[in-house]
Amino acid sequence: MGIIKNRNVLVLYILLYILSASVNARPISWPGGNTYMYKSDATKTSKNYHYSPSYKYSIGVGFVNDKYFKEEYINFRGTYLLDRRNTKKSQRNFYITGALSGKSSDNFFYGVHGDWETRRYFTSVSYINKYTKQKNYIEKELQVGVAPYLGEYGDIHTWLMIKAKRNTIDDNWETYPFIKLFTGDYMVEIGNKNSHWDLHLMARF
Amino acid sequence: MNKILLLTLILIAQISYAEQNDDSHSHEGSHDMSEGNHDISKDKKIDESRYKLNTKRYEEFIKDISNVQIAIVDVEGMVCDFCARGIEKTFYKDLDVVKVDVDLGKGKVFIAYSKSVKIDFEDIKDKITKNGQTAISMQIEKL
Repeated sequence: MGIIKNRNVLVLYILLYILSASVNARPISWPGGNTYMYKSDATKTSKNYHYSPSYKYSIGVGFVNDKYFKEEYINFRGTYLLDRRNTKKSQRNFYITGALSGKSSDNFFYGVHGDWETRRYFTSVSYINKYTKQKNYIEKELQVGVAPYLGEYGDIHTWLMIKAKRNTIDDNWETYPFIKLFTGDYMVEIGNKNSHWDLHLMARF
Repeated sequence: MNKILLLTLILIAQISYAEQNDDSHSHEGSHDMSEGNHDISKDKKIDESRYKLNTKRYEEFIKDISNVQIAIVDVEGMVCDFCARGIEKTFYKDLDVVKVDVDLGKGKVFIAYSKSVKIDFEDIKDKITKNGQTAISMQIEKL
């Protein structure tokens, strides 16, 4: 907690603890692990539950409120770890992911996600093809981050991140900073762009 | 921006490859500490240079346990709390395990077993592999 420099950051920490959840782009947990994710941005809000029979894949269900196309539906989602490379100082992953809406067979997505991280640096990239009744589009996302301090196991870990994302509907890149915190089984990402809050929470149990 | 995405992917692959090579060299020098036994019951102190671990963390780990044997496992891919959390949960399911802790900075897992158990590195390795990380070597300490 020694890194807290001002009251605003302290308020943010408290807020995130009140929310008591977490954030990560990976819906795969340890074997037999469960993951709950809440994600909200300007275009949609989703609540997802995933179960990981092994560290290689997860299956799950989610409720999506699509603010852009003004519709709500349930998603059945799967993620598979295509490749992982562990080293003493880093881990690199490539995933494929996909989901099918329970509402319509015209509503689904699939894509790839890759990340590489050390205790100090994090980077990830994703490319998702989305199909809806109204319009098909692509979402791309790039994240880079740095940990301002290296916490020990069980500490609060903090990441200062920059996210760039683009979908082919708006057809322009949005780049904005956000903060990622995690401790224990919980993680939180929070960022702000154009007066919209990007919030991503994750809890594993 | 598509080029940036592509470059990022290539960068991830390259850095990962470089680190893999770097680590494979460093492991060559650490094989001598694999699967050895050392009795530290007299003073509960450990030689930091021998095991390349965080002695403060280790001494905190052993301060409230006794009559146990401790597997100090060198693990790759344990770069965050989330990675290590699964390892901790997995080993706590083993009734012979008294206590588990993780030294993220040095990439070690400490597993305290009751003394009656024969510690099997292959079993530990298998459990860690099933969790998504890679166990490289192990040292056993007795308290």
